[in-house]
Amino acid sequence: MSHGPSAAGGAAISTTPHGHQSEPYVPVFTGETKARLDALMERYPTRMATLLPALWMVQEARGWVSPEAMAEVAGLLGLTAAYVKGVVTFYTMYHQHPVGTHFIQVCTTTPCHVCGAEDVVKAFLQHTGCGELGVTSADGKYTVIEVECLGACGFATPVMVNSDFIESVTPEKVPDVLKRYG
Amino acid sequence: MGFPFKPHPRESTVLSKHFGEAEARTLDGWKVRGGYRALEQALGMDPVAIQNIVKESGLRGRGGAGFPTGLKWSFMKLGDGKPHYLCCNADESEPGTFKDREIMRWTPHALIEGCAIAAHAIGAETAYIYIRGEFTEPLEVMERAVAEARNAGVIGPNAMGSGKRVDVWVHKGAGAYICGEETALMNSLEGKRGNPRIKPPFPAAAGLFGMPTTINNVETLAAVPHILVNGGAWYKNMARADNPKSTGTKLWSVCGNVSRPGNYEVQMGFPFREFLYDLCGGPPRGRTFKAVIPGGSSVPIITIAEAEAAFMDYEGMVAVGTMLGSAGCIVMDDAQSIPRQVARLARFYAHESCAQCTQCREGTAWTTKILERIVAGDGTAEDLDTLLDLADNMTGKTICVLSDSCAAPVVSGLQKFPDEFKALITRKTVHTVPAIVA
Amino acid sequence: MADTPLVNLTIEGRPVSVPAGTSILEAAKTVGVLIPHYCYHPGLPVAGVCRMCLVDVEKAPKLAPACATAVAEGQVVHVHDEKAREARKGVLEMLLINHPLDCPICDQAGECELQDYTYQEGRADSRYREPKRFNPVEDFGGDVMYVPNRCILCTRCVRFMEDVAHDAVLNVSERGDRALIGKFEGKDLTHAWAGNVVDLCPVGALLSKDFLNKARSWELDRTASVCTGCSQGCNIIVETRDNTVVRLRPRSNAAVNEFFMCDHGRLNYRWMNRGDRLESPSILGAAGQQVVDWDVALAGAARVLKGKRILVLASSNLSNEAMFVLSRIAKASGGAGASRMVTGVEAPLPGVEDLALRADRTANGRGAELLGFTRSDAPLSGLAQGDAVIVADHDITPDDAALLAKASAVVLVSTVMPAGLPRADVVLPICNYLEEEGTLTNLRGHVQRFLQARAAPGMARPSWFVLADLANALGERMDVLTAGQVFALLASSHPDFAGLSHEALGLRGRPVAGATAGATS
Repeated sequence: MSHGPSAAGGAAISTTPHGHQSEPYVPVFTGETKARLDALMERYPTRMATLLPALWMVQEARGWVSPEAMAEVAGLLGLTAAYVKGVVTFYTMYHQHPVGTHFIQVCTTTPCHVCGAEDVVKAFLQHTGCGELGVTSADGKYTVIEVECLGACGFATPVMVNSDFIESVTPEKVPDVLKRYG
Repeated sequence: MGFPFKPHPRESTVLSKHFGEAEARTLDGWKVRGGYRALEQALGMDPVAIQNIVKESGLRGRGGAGFPTGLKWSFMKLGDGKPHYLCCNADESEPGTFKDREIMRWTPHALIEGCAIAAHAIGAETAYIYIRGEFTEPLEVMERAVAEARNAGVIGPNAMGSGKRVDVWVHKGAGAYICGEETALMNSLEGKRGNPRIKPPFPAAAGLFGMPTTINNVETLAAVPHILVNGGAWYKNMARADNPKSTGTKLWSVCGNVSRPGNYEVQMGFPFREFLYDLCGGPPRGRTFKAVIPGGSSVPIITIAEAEAAFMDYEGMVAVGTMLGSAGCIVMDDAQSIPRQVARLARFYAHESCAQCTQCREGTAWTTKILERIVAGDGTAEDLDTLLDLADNMTGKTICVLSDSCAAPVVSGLQKFPDEFKALITRKTVHTVPAIVA
Repeated sequence: MADTPLVNLTIEGRPVSVPAGTSILEAAKTVGVLIPHYCYHPGLPVAGVCRMCLVDVEKAPKLAPACATAVAEGQVVHVHDEKAREARKGVLEMLLINHPLDCPICDQAGECELQDYTYQEGRADSRYREPKRFNPVEDFGGDVMYVPNRCILCTRCVRFMEDVAHDAVLNVSERGDRALIGKFEGKDLTHAWAGNVVDLCPVGALLSKDFLNKARSWELDRTASVCTGCSQGCNIIVETRDNTVVRLRPRSNAAVNEFFMCDHGRLNYRWMNRGDRLESPSILGAAGQQVVDWDVALAGAARVLKGKRILVLASSNLSNEAMFVLSRIAKASGGAGASRMVTGVEAPLPGVEDLALRADRTANGRGAELLGFTRSDAPLSGLAQGDAVIVADHDITPDDAALLAKASAVVLVSTVMPAGLPRADVVLPICNYLEEEGTLTNLRGHVQRFLQARAAPGMARPSWFVLADLANALGERMDVLTAGQVFALLASSHPDFAGLSHEALGLRGRPVAGATAGATS
């Protein structure tokens, strides 16, 4: 069962806070981003409620949620880094590892499965050169994962490329889809 | 033909009337179509009077449980001095279901209006619309509509000049099916893991941020403005003559092996047979229908014969041994292997289990492993007994119903299509697709 | 609680009457019915996730989690009917499918609730034929090691750190059957009370690194005692194997420490196993320290002390009983007693009211004060030429040693020879607190008994016994054969202790008169 990087491994393969990059960590929440987060806090009675939005901002800015970013968010919201990590690992959309420039999620849950989503997955793996689910292509461009129900079952097979939602993808259409994300 | 195509003449388009009209997404466009009249009316009404109209309409929750909406609202103790909250459940994640997505994409203001009316009816000043993170387009549309409505003073500190505060905010999920469970959604909104909570306390007593909370599905809330404008009786009359318990119109998402997948809005009690063949166009060319999961993946599978005899309302679905659920109708034709599809469903639940309750955390994964082994041709007769026993252990014993939902298709699949499972076990072969007949 | 109305119900056929709001699980305990459970712990918020405590409540549509279901009037609860037993059997089987079944090499074996309940009512075999989930062992820092393969995700550890220690360094990571207890890299279980997660863990998933592979639980002898790590007086169980202390664990006492003890106290036991103990009485002779019989030593001690003002330098870890006799000896001679305070950083457990590793790191400072001992950084400063000194299990600083040169006689009543003690005219070896009985008074005035956990080395005798003999040799009249009798004398002569006795103290202790009651009441 492979559902991409977020579901793989577990805490045992935890990354060291400084293992990924040698340059010092640059905080995400400065200037305009910090102002956006502060504005969001007005909407909720607790700071903690802005955790999911804050993690989204991190992912928008950095492409993934690094341990350093978890610690930064924890500090801002008065939480522990472990708490934030527990939350991050619960939600599959937060990347705990860097992913390709184009993150491709193919729905394979039952309604799509009965419509042949498996072949769509195969086509993406082949045409991106990823070969395997959850693996980033050698050129760093693509990561393909299977995703559970995207909620567009009548338009099988829906595929998300980054934040673009593409409906009714068939194996034949895969090369055309990829052309848009060269 | 349901959306994305023109409505079939036999559809009753109330919620879906403006699907596909780009202009309906804007505040002005929505007002032209009669929008926000209901809110204006509601803001001048006593909350209890609104509750009573909704009670009279017979509207029931469209998220899956079918609980009477007006009654749910009346559980909120008005004037208790605590902040009240409304949550709109837009985490539509139930496999087979994609109706709320269209409501949000095309008629965002219908939802905002419904939220604002409901908030007023339960004494809440704040409503949160929790939208699953994968719904990028609905999120964008809703955010834009909320900003527009807020800037125009339709919602906000002085909603429509009523002097009443109604804040509506959009909150983005991050990938977790279980957040569609109401208390899990509240935890998620609070910035926690989306773990369902033990009940009691029920949300009306202690919900979001520990305060009295009502949570309603997108479709439920979107129906409310229509009920207020047209009256409870109007809504109530849209029902099967011999079943007044299910009222109004219902959006059905149809997917799988069917000629015209899409969203169809029909009155409660519509004959399922006519629905499947006339509206949805029947099976793909050369195939025949085999099975239907009518209410989203969590409800029992029924055979096509059972489906053809059913009426499309809460009671009608129960009568054939399944449930209306979220009305996400997954249709399978004769080319599909039931064991294979059940295995895929189990895998979905195993992936989505929040990990709290033992039977769910371990049971969904174990069930998946057994089913995948059977599908691979490596099953034994004992496996089938084990599956049923596991399903029993996974039913009615956990905090929420995710494990029950995993068990339901397993049990019904084994009951309705035992030969397919046995064939895999005795022949030790994988499923083969029959030739097209027509 | 006095105003809370009582609710009447029936559990396993027994009538139960408990305050409204009580859970079925707690109500059952009051009539001796143990409802099997894992995630529930009375010291933690209810989670309701293990689903082990499901009980059959008549007229309820589903089995109810006993930990999270409040009692209701007229309820009829079945814990051991077929429906409930089958549900538990199902839970047990599922808890074991990914478990390595490595009891023979697991530290928890013998005190494992997974093992216990499985033997009690689980399946004899497993139907699981698939590969097991694997995650490697992780060092959680502090004294804690995590063996994820044995974990049942009850989340007691997570809840303790979050809700009791207020230091959420543990989490549940991932979800579904991939879930495991996680922490953030670089943030360890360094909280002063973190070791409690090992006790809280009902299975062998969280283990004490200190205790690892030291003993099988069934080899241990267990004795009720009190921690001497600070003045809080946490109730503990001393676990010994062949007369050697191998582990200290908390013993619940709502008035003092709820269910917990700190890591300082927990790991502060090696001194109890010291090999360099004083084992025989001796007298300083021409040829150095001469081993003699007890009678000779006691007579010798009396001889050097008699007629002199006696200053007592006593460890405030000594029992009330020993302190009492010492105070009598000092007082009769016109002398006084003192001890030096040992201090450290205070470390509270925020989730429990008035529970902390106290700055005062001695066990009986309050008792010593009540019995007239003064606390001083220079406890021998009042020593005058010709005074005699009794050093009672107290350490000796160079300053002490210099002052002791003025003493006409030094009698050492001690478990060990204090480093730096210039001379001892007589040495009287005593038991350490594990080897005798007695009481300690915590900082809030709570008087608590400790029991004898093991045999004394050599000829060492209980402190109160040696001191009573010495007092008698000095002309006192102390007719005592047990520590209880010493305490009775103490109680009759000190108003603070009036009305208390070893029997009355039991194993939960009682406050002295006028004491602020204690941790949680």
